Amino acid sequence: MSDNHKPAPMVDEISDFEVLEIAVRELAIEKGLFSADDHRRWTEYVHSVGPLPAGRLVAKAWLDPEFKKLAVTDGVKASLEVGVDWINSPPTKFGTPSDYCNLRVLEDTPRLKHVVVCTLCSCYPRPILGQSPEWYRTPNYRRRLVRWPRQVLSEFGLQLPEDMEIRVADSNQKTRYIVLPVRPAGTEGWSEDQLAEIVTRDCLIGVAVPKPGRKADDKRHVHPAVHPVHHDH
Amino acid sequence: MSKVQHDRTHHAKKATGIGDPQCFKGEAGPAKFKIGDRVRIKDLPDLFYTRCQVYTRGAVGVVAAVVYESPAAEDEAWDNTDKSEWFYSVKFRQHELWSDYPAVYANDTLETEFSERWLEKA
Amino acid sequence: MTTPDDKDHETQARRQALDTAPISLLETIRTQGRVWGDLAAQYGVSNPEPPWKINLDATCDVLGAGSCALPVLERRWEEDELSAELYADVPFPERQLLALAHSMIRRGLVNEDELTRRMAQVDARLKLV
Repeated sequence: MSDNHKPAPMVDEISDFEVLEIAVRELAIEKGLFSADDHRRWTEYVHSVGPLPAGRLVAKAWLDPEFKKLAVTDGVKASLEVGVDWINSPPTKFGTPSDYCNLRVLEDTPRLKHVVVCTLCSCYPRPILGQSPEWYRTPNYRRRLVRWPRQVLSEFGLQLPEDMEIRVADSNQKTRYIVLPVRPAGTEGWSEDQLAEIVTRDCLIGVAVPKPGRKADDKRHVHPAVHPVHHDH
Repeated sequence: MSKVQHDRTHHAKKATGIGDPQCFKGEAGPAKFKIGDRVRIKDLPDLFYTRCQVYTRGAVGVVAAVVYESPAAEDEAWDNTDKSEWFYSVKFRQHELWSDYPAVYANDTLETEFSERWLEKA
Repeated sequence: MTTPDDKDHETQARRQALDTAPISLLETIRTQGRVWGDLAAQYGVSNPEPPWKINLDATCDVLGAGSCALPVLERRWEEDELSAELYADVPFPERQLLALAHSMIRRGLVNEDELTRRMAQVDARLKLV
């Protein structure tokens, strides 16, 4: 039990990057590019968003056909039922600068698999899915997903039957997308909480499919790299 | 020094509590295309700023949804938000976009949005 | 009918607008700054992202809102370009931060000298015992 009283380890060193982040922010505030209060409110907002509400939305849709109908016809309205107000939650009260207020929920079927990308930059349904992962922002993913979707999906470990339709949704205008995957076998009789746990971020982007027993907070074995990269700085 | 000033504050008042693109609802008049229409993406020159991706230019697809009304990105970039257009979600066969897309995956598709100015009847 | 290479027209058009020449202050940070991955490994911290990442994200958002001093799309395009050319060996999110500072300096939103001075002040403040 004494382990519980040990303080968590901390990085006891100030890096140049940390200093640069603060210096940029302070100068921007001094120059009136934004106010300290604006920044604080945005930080709170950014902190408050994550993928849990989108997972909850999917679980609800699996259990309630009426809610599913609402989700696929009016994603913004359906979001309210999982606690996400696209319009009024962001500090602007009309959506964030990059996330407009139009959510489409793309429903997969056993014959159809959706996957989401933004070839323009990295538009992402942040209010309901949080900050985008780094790979989603890379030109590698953005450029290749529209062109070679099956190759990219197989790199995520997702191999799909030849005759299944893969539909790429490119969100380069004002609509943002999440995927409503097919409810997997082996989840019969599960509660909404149980179902929500297996709908991870990658399932909502469409590069993975939910599996019973695979949760977002699972501990994953990390194998040491065969040829580790050493930074000399 | 800076190029595109895509300033969304000019219509903040209009969009506050309503949302963007919801705040442009009812401004575009009748929609020119409907679900199921075959449309070709015009290959218009890029004058300055656009969100219409090059890989779709000249391709033929089908209107999958009439999605919302909004000023086109090309106008919004200049703060010209007084003229809204209908936006359409258009679905393409992948083979139509990339001629060497493997024939074995003939069912694969791509869906993305366009403002009305980019579409013509095919 | 187009090929993926056609998309490079867009990249070309943007490239004309951004000066990707190295900026001395940022080069020093790039080569001498210690990235979060190394610090986390050394101190046994499991958080995959540095604590300042959330501040950086908020700074990017708020620069694209309000005064719209740095529109979101342009910042992202410039970040992509700088990530490919100048900051390719820097991990994320350190790369995002360097690219943001680069874009701001090139646009004249801040200048290199004042940023250097401010960093010295911040550094002294953080290390005050």
